[in-house]
Amino acid sequence: MSEHLISSKEMAQFVASGYLKFEDMVPKDLCAACLEEMNDNRGYLAVGTPFEETWPKGTALGDAFRLPQVQGLIHSLVGPEPLYDHHAAHLVQAGNTRGPDMHQDSVIDFRENYFDIQLSFFPADTPDEMGGTFLVPGTHFRNVRTGEIHIYQHMRGKIWASCPAGTVYVWNTRVWHGSRSNHTDQDRYMYKLRLNPTHPQICHFDTNDLDDPEIPAILNTNHGWEGNEHRYELMQRVQLWRYVSDQPDYDQGERFMRRIEYQPGEAAG
Amino acid sequence: MPAVQDILVLFQTTPALTAPPVAWARYEASKGPIHDLVDESESPYQSAMDAMRDGWQVIQMSELKHRSPEEGYELGPLPYQTVLSKFNEVQNEEGAAS
Repeated sequence: MSEHLISSKEMAQFVASGYLKFEDMVPKDLCAACLEEMNDNRGYLAVGTPFEETWPKGTALGDAFRLPQVQGLIHSLVGPEPLYDHHAAHLVQAGNTRGPDMHQDSVIDFRENYFDIQLSFFPADTPDEMGGTFLVPGTHFRNVRTGEIHIYQHMRGKIWASCPAGTVYVWNTRVWHGSRSNHTDQDRYMYKLRLNPTHPQICHFDTNDLDDPEIPAILNTNHGWEGNEHRYELMQRVQLWRYVSDQPDYDQGERFMRRIEYQPGEAAG
Repeated sequence: MPAVQDILVLFQTTPALTAPPVAWARYEASKGPIHDLVDESESPYQSAMDAMRDGWQVIQMSELKHRSPEEGYELGPLPYQTVLSKFNEVQNEEGAAS
């Protein structure tokens, strides 16, 4: 397991941007077998039960999400013994177009120091024109009610899945996202699996590079849409980084958290 | 063909009409609803003022927000928007833009 954990720098990127992309995560032959299974893979399993007990065994999709590299990724972000939340084989049929679709999944969720993850697995080559899922990196601290953000038809910093077969995107389920038009003559699948943690999400990743000097710059990433809000975004990222890296006093740069936490009376003892 | 109202909404992180949009949306009655959204990485105008100089009329601009200690650090939707209007002729009678 340990050789497949994500690094501290990758964890900082997940905290700042809310997603990570891994190409070549699932071998091509297994991708083909998964694609076959997706044609007949509908409905939820037992929501809120241990993933290892609930997730099918002896199937291509069962094997894909049990690959050591996928297990290492899951462990890094949600820790041991995650719960199965739900899954779905999202299909955009050939030639199917989509209008504005920006949304945040599920229901509004204000829990602090907590996040679910979603693994988005692309079992076939997914070029731009095929309509891979779009994300707006860094929006996971902005709680909204599901589809009310359809009004943001276009947003600076928006990215979309454009990737070879076997790619897995993993993202904080609060990231704003949506589907796109498929302008090809082939159906497009994205297989999603959502998982919940059962343990505090603290230092489950590889902490050997926790003091890497690039981490502050990663946390300070500007995705293009933050504008005057950037320092408030940074404060949220710093608070989550404090938690997941077990550094309760972490701050950086101009130290905005210090600005609101410093109390001269307490400092004087 | 009749002239109908097109709406352009610019979303900003400050309310100024010179602020750069970070998101935008079109509700163009002259073209109908959008059934196939074509991705755009940059706003059609660099600011509401820029759109005004191209003939768009501002029909709503945002007020500054009051900030309380409880809500001052809350994040949610983008904080400010400018709504612009322009009248254009209907481009097709079926009311469906591609």
